[in-house]
Amino acid sequence: MPLLPLQSDWAFVVGNLDLLLAGTGVTIGLTAASILLGFLLGFPAGAVEVYGSGPLKRAVETAGVVLRGTPLLVIIILLFFGLSVSSSAFVTATVALGLRSAAYQSQIFRGALQSVDEGQLEAARAVGMGRLQAIRSVVVPQALRRSVPGFQNEFTIVLKDTSIAIVIGLGELLTVGQNLYQGGQSTAALEIFLTVSLIYFVLTFVTNRSLDRLDDRFSIPGGERA
Amino acid sequence: MSDDGLSRRQYLSTVGGTAVTVSLAGCFGGGGGGDGSTEITAGTAPGFPPFEMKQDGELVGFDVDLLEAVVDETDYTLAGWEEYEFKSLIPALTNSNIDVVAAGMTINDERDQTIDFTDPYYSSNQAIVVREDGDFSPSSLSDLSGRPVGAQKGTTGESTIQSELIEPGNLEESNYNSYGNYVLAIEDLQNGNIDAVVIDEPVAQTFAAQRPVTIAFTYETGENFGFGVREDDDEFTQALNDGLATVRDGSTYQDLTNKWFGQQ
Repeated sequence: MPLLPLQSDWAFVVGNLDLLLAGTGVTIGLTAASILLGFLLGFPAGAVEVYGSGPLKRAVETAGVVLRGTPLLVIIILLFFGLSVSSSAFVTATVALGLRSAAYQSQIFRGALQSVDEGQLEAARAVGMGRLQAIRSVVVPQALRRSVPGFQNEFTIVLKDTSIAIVIGLGELLTVGQNLYQGGQSTAALEIFLTVSLIYFVLTFVTNRSLDRLDDRFSIPGGERA
Repeated sequence: MSDDGLSRRQYLSTVGGTAVTVSLAGCFGGGGGGDGSTEITAGTAPGFPPFEMKQDGELVGFDVDLLEAVVDETDYTLAGWEEYEFKSLIPALTNSNIDVVAAGMTINDERDQTIDFTDPYYSSNQAIVVREDGDFSPSSLSDLSGRPVGAQKGTTGESTIQSELIEPGNLEESNYNSYGNYVLAIEDLQNGNIDAVVIDEPVAQTFAAQRPVTIAFTYETGENFGFGVREDDDEFTQALNDGLATVRDGSTYQDLTNKWFGQQ
């Protein structure tokens, strides 16, 4: 049999673009759900690490250390085959990625909260705010702005780590790509890898630019950037 | 930095669009495993042509057709297929995510300790694949001495290299390259980074038909493929064995081998 010309491999990729885009949809959904779960757990966790005390603080710190120290592959396999949190691969992958992201995000927010000058809290208390209100109305809004760059990193990490969901059979972007060259035109492996990488790049680029805009829009007027 | 930021409306519609994607994506993902009813879920690992692969998004292959034909002969009904990586199949089975494995799985003692197998449904040997236009044409395993060779991680091809070449000292450990899947091993063979790949014979024939590679010789391992089942599922195993016997006695089995292995 003659060696298939290179064009036919690219034609194969183009012909299966709809499948790759469906996989991209799963990747986007998984990323968004995981980041959201990570934020809902990670932001309070970061606040507890800065302002909390006693057993709650120790529990949050320990959970963070364990989650950050365990490979994602182990977390996802443990949750699916060990604890069986859900029979749905999508839900399990979201929980695994969300928990790991929460552990990372808690550190982003801890750093951001600690970076706000202590005088801000004192000043807020001096005008009669309670401790909780001062944190919520004065420190948190400033800290959230400062956490955008760290958050951009975290988004990029979660986006690409969604590909680990392949081990529990979730049909995300990389899984679809791999299935294409393993089941159809096996010579198209390189072309498919390049296409998949390009899609990941576009997703990362678009989100980072959007977060840049968000950062510009909400940056502190007359702040460090003056 | 530009200052034409996203308007609030644009921002909200972006967020809203993402939320829709999330809720749609939530509809994907698999159903449950066995709960004692007669509905069963099968599991496989696509990427092993012609036994199982994805074509146009559909799961197809010899194992898929055969298991469906076998289950049709029993009182059970097949609820659907779940896809995993090959190494995740046994945990998925023991954890009841799936009830049967149809993935060109070789029956061996190691796997038999964790799961049970049905009667064999296919015999395979290992093929040694080399470049078509290369000057290297080995005729026995000993000819591979001193040559860089490759196989897929966790397969019988890898076991063959380990037990027949590396352990007796005929091949240096550093000459063995292990790959995540067959396609990448063949790719590396074509690129000249390795001189031979050891893989299952039917899969090797598929590659030989598609690419400038050829089967130099086959190594008889006499291995048998079986469907994997849970150890406590004796009634179901018996039903599958009876179904398999019926399919083999009729013309279905021959039709399926012609369909999937015939046109090479």
